[in-house]
Amino acid sequence: MDAERGLMAKVARGDQAAFAELAQRYSGKLMAVAGRLLGSRADAEDAVQRAFIHCFASAGSYDARWAVSTWLYRILTNVCVDELRRRATRNARDERSAGVLAAASSNHHPPAAYLDLHRALERVPREARVLLALRYVDGLSYGELARIRGISINTVKSQLARGKSRLRAELGKRGADHV
Amino acid sequence: MCDVMDAGKGPDRLDLLLSDYFRPEAATELPRRIATAAQESRAVLERLESKLAVEATTRGVSRVAVGTAARPANAAARRLVEQAREEIHEYLRGQRAFFQVPVDLTTVPDFQRRVLAATGHIPFGEGRAYAWVASRIGHPRAVRAVGTALGRNPVPLILPCHRVWRSDGSVGGYIFGAAVKDRLAALERTTPVLEGCTSTRIVCRVGCIHGRHMRPDNRVVFASVEDARSVGYRPCKRCRPAA
Repeated sequence: MDAERGLMAKVARGDQAAFAELAQRYSGKLMAVAGRLLGSRADAEDAVQRAFIHCFASAGSYDARWAVSTWLYRILTNVCVDELRRRATRNARDERSAGVLAAASSNHHPPAAYLDLHRALERVPREARVLLALRYVDGLSYGELARIRGISINTVKSQLARGKSRLRAELGKRGADHV
Repeated sequence: MCDVMDAGKGPDRLDLLLSDYFRPEAATELPRRIATAAQESRAVLERLESKLAVEATTRGVSRVAVGTAARPANAAARRLVEQAREEIHEYLRGQRAFFQVPVDLTTVPDFQRRVLAATGHIPFGEGRAYAWVASRIGHPRAVRAVGTALGRNPVPLILPCHRVWRSDGSVGGYIFGAAVKDRLAALERTTPVLEGCTSTRIVCRVGCIHGRHMRPDNRVVFASVEDARSVGYRPCKRCRPAA
């Protein structure tokens, strides 16, 4: 833990080797979170790269009270949530203009076994979906989730519970037997 | 296998060539690439900003262009020029997602004013076709006239004519050049619109005065005001993101 904080201090001084190590250590996990949130691999890569750009530029403002992973997840989630906003307005427009442009989310095809879950997840409110992704990709604690999204621990719990009950209802509607 | 590498002979030139070609990129390349990419995109916009001239009347900003500006006629106009300069400065650095400074379009012809008003409705970070603007103002066939009207936009950047692209997806023309238009699209794609402060639980539009006082580690991005409300944030009363 302290080793990682030392790494961040080096990054803040502009040490490129330290940054490379940081990128190597975390890009896998960040890719997993971004991939679950955004759906497509290309979008996830773009988001992770932007998160690292932001991290490199703002390493000076990193506060050692933060765990490095929590700080990186905050940056990445900020990027991904804004990408989801853009996608939402784009999809709404496409529906209005009767499909002049193809919907952006249609290029992602999850394996058939997860298709029901994938569709059900799209019905879960956005903030709850973000929390579910963070929770299940890396098993983050309620406290870490609260810190990453800037909300109280009780809100984390209620959002996760609401998200899961919505998932159960959606999967039940589709007649899936594994819920 | 035997074709390229005979046992006992050691690697030949083709081996070296192939291993060189397929050698994984050294991890140290990534940060350098990231840093240069960030610097390059900033350089184009900084060069633009250093050449900008801003003029204003007492009613609002009347001209933004490359070149030299006439001196403001009075103190009110000078204040507006300063405000516009500051907002443009923040906008080009990705710290502002909307303009508050008023614009003065009294000398602009009626058709052009309607085109510019329609353009103002395109959300930050998005693009629309010239044909979209034309149909929105009720002249669906006047696509070229829309292009001309936007090309004469007296207050580019503040009124976002750079968000209007050609229907085939190419950028089209721009007052400051197509390269700048491309950069602006990239800039807006990476600038979030709504940010919340974790200590006050208030969500603002990026560029609001409250955001400037926010510590960077208190900042979270939201996709919509409803999302922010659902986890206990309220919209700012000053920049009114819900409106």
